[in-house]
Amino acid sequence: MKISHICGALIFLAGMSFGQKEAPLPPDLPAYGPEKPLQAPVVNATKLENGLTVWLVSEPGFPKVAFQIAVRGGLAADPADRPGISELLAKTIDQGTKTRNAKQIAQELQAAGGDCNATTEKDDIEISTSVLSSRIETGVNLLADILQNASFPDAEVTLAKRNLADSLQQRESEPSFLAARALAKVLFGDHPYRVAAPTQESIAAATPSDLRSIYEQRFRPDQSIMVIVGDFENARLLELLKSRLATWKGPSESPVAAPSNPFATPEHAVYVVPRPGSVQTTLRLASFGPVRSAPDYEAAELANAVYGGTFSSRLTSNIREDKGYTYSPFSFLRSYRQAAVLTTGADVRNDVTGPTLNEIMYEMNRLATTSPSDAELTKTKRYLIGSEAINLQARSAVAQELATLWVDGLPPDYINTYGQKISAATKDDVDSAAKKYFPFAHTVIIAVGEENVVRDALAPFGLPVHAAP
Amino acid sequence: MFPNRNICCALIFAATFVPTLAAQQWRAPTTMKKLADGLTVVVSEDHSAPTFGLCVSYGIGFRLEPEGRTGFAHLFEHMMFEGTPNAPKGVLDRVIEGGGGNNNGDTRYDHTEYIETAPISTLDPVLWIEADRMKTLDFSPKNLENQRNVVEEEVRVNVLNRPYGLFFAIDLPGRAFDTYPNAHNFYGDFKDLDAAKIEDVKAFYEQYYAPNNAVLAVVGDVKPDEVFAKTEKYFASVPARPTPPRPKVDEAPQTAERRASETDKLAKVPALAIGYRMPPRHTPDALPAAVTGELLHNGQASRLYQALVKGKEVAISVDGGVNWPLGSAFEYNGPTLMTSFIIYPPNVTEDQLLAAYDAAVKELADKGPSPQDLERIVAKMRSDWYDQLEIPISRASALSHAVLFDGRFDAVYQIPEDLAKVTPAQVRAFAAKYLVATNRTIINRVPAAGGQAEKPQGGGL
Repeated sequence: MKISHICGALIFLAGMSFGQKEAPLPPDLPAYGPEKPLQAPVVNATKLENGLTVWLVSEPGFPKVAFQIAVRGGLAADPADRPGISELLAKTIDQGTKTRNAKQIAQELQAAGGDCNATTEKDDIEISTSVLSSRIETGVNLLADILQNASFPDAEVTLAKRNLADSLQQRESEPSFLAARALAKVLFGDHPYRVAAPTQESIAAATPSDLRSIYEQRFRPDQSIMVIVGDFENARLLELLKSRLATWKGPSESPVAAPSNPFATPEHAVYVVPRPGSVQTTLRLASFGPVRSAPDYEAAELANAVYGGTFSSRLTSNIREDKGYTYSPFSFLRSYRQAAVLTTGADVRNDVTGPTLNEIMYEMNRLATTSPSDAELTKTKRYLIGSEAINLQARSAVAQELATLWVDGLPPDYINTYGQKISAATKDDVDSAAKKYFPFAHTVIIAVGEENVVRDALAPFGLPVHAAP
Repeated sequence: MFPNRNICCALIFAATFVPTLAAQQWRAPTTMKKLADGLTVVVSEDHSAPTFGLCVSYGIGFRLEPEGRTGFAHLFEHMMFEGTPNAPKGVLDRVIEGGGGNNNGDTRYDHTEYIETAPISTLDPVLWIEADRMKTLDFSPKNLENQRNVVEEEVRVNVLNRPYGLFFAIDLPGRAFDTYPNAHNFYGDFKDLDAAKIEDVKAFYEQYYAPNNAVLAVVGDVKPDEVFAKTEKYFASVPARPTPPRPKVDEAPQTAERRASETDKLAKVPALAIGYRMPPRHTPDALPAAVTGELLHNGQASRLYQALVKGKEVAISVDGGVNWPLGSAFEYNGPTLMTSFIIYPPNVTEDQLLAAYDAAVKELADKGPSPQDLERIVAKMRSDWYDQLEIPISRASALSHAVLFDGRFDAVYQIPEDLAKVTPAQVRAFAAKYLVATNRTIINRVPAAGGQAEKPQGGGL
């Protein structure tokens, strides 16, 4: 499979102009060379008899194998009285099975060169590891055991609850965590996506039997995928998987559908999270964007890259390279199954809190109201297409990307079509996406910092100012 | 996107499925050449994707930055992205990102690296850019002022506005070592950053940013001859300069345990950092040190996780290792520490935590690891090291550091084999000799009562 890629075979930089303010390119700077076709990973997709989706990518030649498992049902599927309990489940899923204790699991995986990494997303729980290819069988055995026989021993759950409670307290001292938690609540309102982390109450209330019943409910082969990328032969590995996973059976009843409420439009306002002692304001702006399966997703990605998604983007050029307000401004579009979020962020010293928001507002509205230049659009297309190749160099990254596609309901071939869609997007497409998703008036603004600093600095914007929920 | 890496031998063993670890050595074809101006070029072919990774490492880091200019090596690194007379500010990022790639820089104790990765079609412009900024810079006071602001925001976001403020990386060496090169605040005191002048930028550039003090590594969809020809073309006109002297940075031996307590106005949970002075690289104790660091810290199977988070239940998390967190146990060129950074529950005392820690270390020093313990951690270290080498940009980085420090890249591929030779007796002897109280520094960092702030982190060095 080949990505039809980048636009035009040879692009001569000299003579291109990127906008009036930008310096001309040096006359002796060499041109980009001819493009070479990027080849997407060849995915061998099968479904086992028990319904487990298996995607294998055989890449001989480098002695590592990456595993990525995704199981539908994450934070958004947690019971209303146990918000965030998925996180406790992820922390304890490798803490014992019917035949192995936590230490044995950790040691056996280490002997294969791996660790068990379990994480919780809004739509799923993911388990990953990366082992030496000579120890691939150990990797399969351990993961098969965890998927079928996790036992959530009482003592391990008790310890994990205490550590999770303490580490929640620790995370609450991180401004980025406070901002992310507030952002989810404000943006998603009553939708289950509002949960970004457990609470002290939900941790305290959680029991081993809660975890066991959620595990029974969600960890079923017909709601799971296993992606394996690396140094193996497909047919042999498939035999091994069949022999280790054949006994995995889900409950007979149908899976519970993911809960979903309509998304309300949140109030365009400032939401303050007081953090005494802060020497910076942590600013986060968020609004809804298109999900990955939407027809204008790629156009929105392009708009975002022009706006703030790259180092040479308008936002970084403005508030970092021109004004020196911040070290690491960013913007990104993150798609979940039911909604996507466009987020802008910057951590700025207290006395430039107001000026920074003013520039962010300017850059968002500039994008929403005027077209990018041809040069900006060309540069951005090449950036996004090249980045896909760069980002998929590691086996673990390919495995993760493929699993995420499955969770989002997209085929593995999306890796091919993404580049084609980026190439094909017109300036009109980008303008429409920018106008639809980027107006400043669509955002909620989270500000974490010294409360009086934040309220005083942001008062001139005339927006409602609320305490963050 | 990555068919047939033209590399290895693992295919041969695929049929047996469980080859011995020793059978699975991996090396990428790699060659090296020195240009007339002294620039060393290393090339590693990898045709698995039509991309490349590139790293230029210079033999200067924050260990050698001038007194009164703490943080300068890193501030200087930012100035390398601020343009040249030929390619003004903005061109570099526009060309690399417009070529589908990205770039970055890192300053460490003993080197500063500039890294790029992109589709192969962008190789020529990137080589041109690296050669261009090796000739001269646009020494602009305006851009220095801009980057001073940016760097001070970086210090705020990573140190001053963050719980723990990297005290395990800044304050700990500050107390563990006695001389300026090893003990000063590498991120920089604001008074020093504020004092930096454009003349300092010029002088630093003249002294350290010479081709003969640099190593360029290219990894990816290239042929060595083609890269050598291109580097000749772009770098031939970069003048060699006198090789900067390397002053001695050794420390007098530590003779007594050092203890300190700090308060933290942002943290809500206490933390402990412990640093043991380590042997120099390339001494017989260095490899056992690397293995011991991982035995104690690497993942849930590690000794300290099992003893402190499990076992005695006196810690929330444990991190650390040799030369942690600013590099691997194989990439340093002066005094370094084995650091443990432990976050612990508020209802546990420092003494309780330290007693459990000491018991775990003593067990290793008394009994050593079992052969199985050792085999496990060596497999994990090998696996982790291969992760470093998998992606072109990080392999380029590892190759360039090895050549910069030792003049040869063999160690990059040799490390997994060398690790496999370490014996339990060596680990036990290492632990007994080095992991002793008189060789360590401990800082206990506790939340400030009632939000009362002491002085900002990093200010006490």
